[in-house]
Amino acid sequence: MGKQVRVSGCKAVAEAVKAANVDVIASYPIRPYTGTMVELARMVAEGELDAEFVHAEGEHAQLSVVLGASAAGARVFTGSAGVGVTYAFEVYSPTSGEFHPVQCMIANRTLDPPGDFGSEHTEAMATRDQGWIMGWAASPQEAYDNTLIYYRLGEDPRVMLPQFPCQDGYFVSHISGPVELADPGQVKEFLPEFRPARALDPRRPVIMGPQCHADQGAAIELGRAEAMRNAREIIPQVYDEFARIFGRRYDPFLEEYKTDDAEVVFFGQGAHTVPARLAADRLRAQGLKVGVVQLRFMRPFPTDAVAERLARFKVVGIIENSNSFGSAFDAGPLTAEVHASLYYAENRPQILTFLAGLGGENIRLGAYGEMARAMHAAAQAGRVGDGAGHVGEGAGRVGGGKHVFWLGFEPLGDAGVEHVAASEDGDGGSDGEGGGW
Amino acid sequence: MPETIKWLGSEAPTEVRIEGYQEIKNVKDAPDVEYYVPGHRTCAGCGPALAYRLTALASGKNTIFAGPTGCMYVANTSYLCGPWAVPWIHTQITNGGAVISGIEASYKAMIRKKKYDGEFPNIICFAGDGGSADIGLQALSGCMYRGHDVLFICYDNESYANTGIQTSPMTPYGAHTTFTPPGPVVPEGKKTFPKDLLKMVAAGHPAVKYLATASIAYPVDLMNKVRKALAHKGPTFMHIHAPCPKGWAFESSKTLDIGKLAVDTGMWTLYEIVNGQVKVNYAPRRRKPVAEYVQAQGRFGHLTPEMTERLQAFVDSKLAELGLLVPIPAV
Repeated sequence: MGKQVRVSGCKAVAEAVKAANVDVIASYPIRPYTGTMVELARMVAEGELDAEFVHAEGEHAQLSVVLGASAAGARVFTGSAGVGVTYAFEVYSPTSGEFHPVQCMIANRTLDPPGDFGSEHTEAMATRDQGWIMGWAASPQEAYDNTLIYYRLGEDPRVMLPQFPCQDGYFVSHISGPVELADPGQVKEFLPEFRPARALDPRRPVIMGPQCHADQGAAIELGRAEAMRNAREIIPQVYDEFARIFGRRYDPFLEEYKTDDAEVVFFGQGAHTVPARLAADRLRAQGLKVGVVQLRFMRPFPTDAVAERLARFKVVGIIENSNSFGSAFDAGPLTAEVHASLYYAENRPQILTFLAGLGGENIRLGAYGEMARAMHAAAQAGRVGDGAGHVGEGAGRVGGGKHVFWLGFEPLGDAGVEHVAASEDGDGGSDGEGGGW
Repeated sequence: MPETIKWLGSEAPTEVRIEGYQEIKNVKDAPDVEYYVPGHRTCAGCGPALAYRLTALASGKNTIFAGPTGCMYVANTSYLCGPWAVPWIHTQITNGGAVISGIEASYKAMIRKKKYDGEFPNIICFAGDGGSADIGLQALSGCMYRGHDVLFICYDNESYANTGIQTSPMTPYGAHTTFTPPGPVVPEGKKTFPKDLLKMVAAGHPAVKYLATASIAYPVDLMNKVRKALAHKGPTFMHIHAPCPKGWAFESSKTLDIGKLAVDTGMWTLYEIVNGQVKVNYAPRRRKPVAEYVQAQGRFGHLTPEMTERLQAFVDSKLAELGLLVPIPAV
């Protein structure tokens, strides 16, 4: 048993980086991830962690510094948020393409506009096709564990991919929670020393990142695709190992909460799944069979797990915390990936998308009640493909019915909530604080 | 301030002494083990390729090169192969300085933590003028400022050459590039004067104690400067003049001649800055007019005498700073 502390998501990651005995750290300040670097700077200054702490001149340089350090054989760490994540974009593909398993934490922040300090997943999601492992923590403990798990996964010789462990800005990064720190012995067993098969070592010269021609390119791309597929296969083993050594067992792909008898579920990643659980408890007290499914990895996306396990529900309500303007269903990447994963499934749930928490806005507990009622109404009305499920004013939408809603801007009654909600507890529940508790 | 930069006036040159520096006396004394070997597809008469070869000869086996995008990436690594017998890593054209910072930090940490039992390597970024003075300037500045034990080399062929000769901040006034074509509206082609990269690095980065210009036309001088830079602990910077037959439009057999002519006309000067003291390495007794340099290259073919005079005036002012403004003998 490790030491129990109460720390924020930012500090939890710094503790994990120390536990991982990282060699090179590249810093640049941007809220809300900065707290991790502040803590790491202190650890290095006070001799708690033996690492080179490089003050990069920007995020692009941060990623470039850790790329070079990883290529030379070091275990490395960096991090960013918001526009910092997009500023460094050029370096993401070379990092994964040359198989440097660097770790870059992201504490999510809106892009400009709105440029506020709130959490939104859009900046991280924008990097999802760059060959990096990516997923969200919902608590400081998960943030701590993900840092160790991602190093282990990314440095596996069958994978060798960089990683974005993400945590929602403020909701996770700045709110303290209980964290059990690892014992050195546990870390040593779970995370062996980084020994890359090839590094920039004058005793064994290699050439990294040479230019190739078009007819050679596909093979290189395939190598990266295979590494990502390998990661998907290895993830369950890594979580088994983690549970054995640390005693905390996570579902490797989809964490389920009160889903055994659920008809409708919230589906999301990161911090917003936490109030969703509380909402599910309260809604169950009112007789609504609501569950929560938390996605652990955006990359690799667990297509099979999503298809198999979401098929048992009548309605899946995606909490979409990022925008992809003009994308399928005019929603975000999560919506598109869930729909795509379910295309070949025999039993497809009806899918509603709630664009929620954008700009970092808090999703109030009452809003979960509204969303659950909309899902419940849709469940009673029918299923996608029956034609009967498409109620309301959604004519002309792809799929025939309106199933994407901007929370707080559109009445969820389009999904059939009004008459159902009114008949059950007399509360329309679609205009803000409602929800009936 | 104990170490200020003094642009040489009438002062005597400072003796350069750097611990561990092994001087090459002459060409015959140069090492004969090559670490930049045949097998690339640079153009005939390529100045940058020669600069690479001389640098690698001087730096030897315990060296790591980082190569930002540019001619020395594209022409050297086509078809997934490369001419280096030492480790080499590609960097983006933007971030050579940052990548070598990371390599250096890695070796510092790994040696200290006993994860690496070899010797600390020579770490060299070999960047073009775009990757140094233009899009790569931020990473160069960050690297030099932080004090990493690395050598950043700008091989200067005065243009974005591998993309088909476009202007860079190092392209001289009056040069024809595909982004500065001369025409009735813009008769001179390139309208602006180049940045002074060495001065920028020297003036703004107190951690940098050794800087030098060099030319492929003076190979022993070039190799010795590489060795001095590497022997010096801390960040060092070199700016190497590397004529480009394709981009400057001269015969590929004339690369060394053009390099020498640049020095003889003052279009390029050979000097070092050691601990803030400037030492000019070569001062031609009889300076040649810039017109001679201009007439030897197709890129200046459209220049009028008035434009050549403007270029001459710019060169004169730069030479005056170095105390090299000797008269040009009458023809």
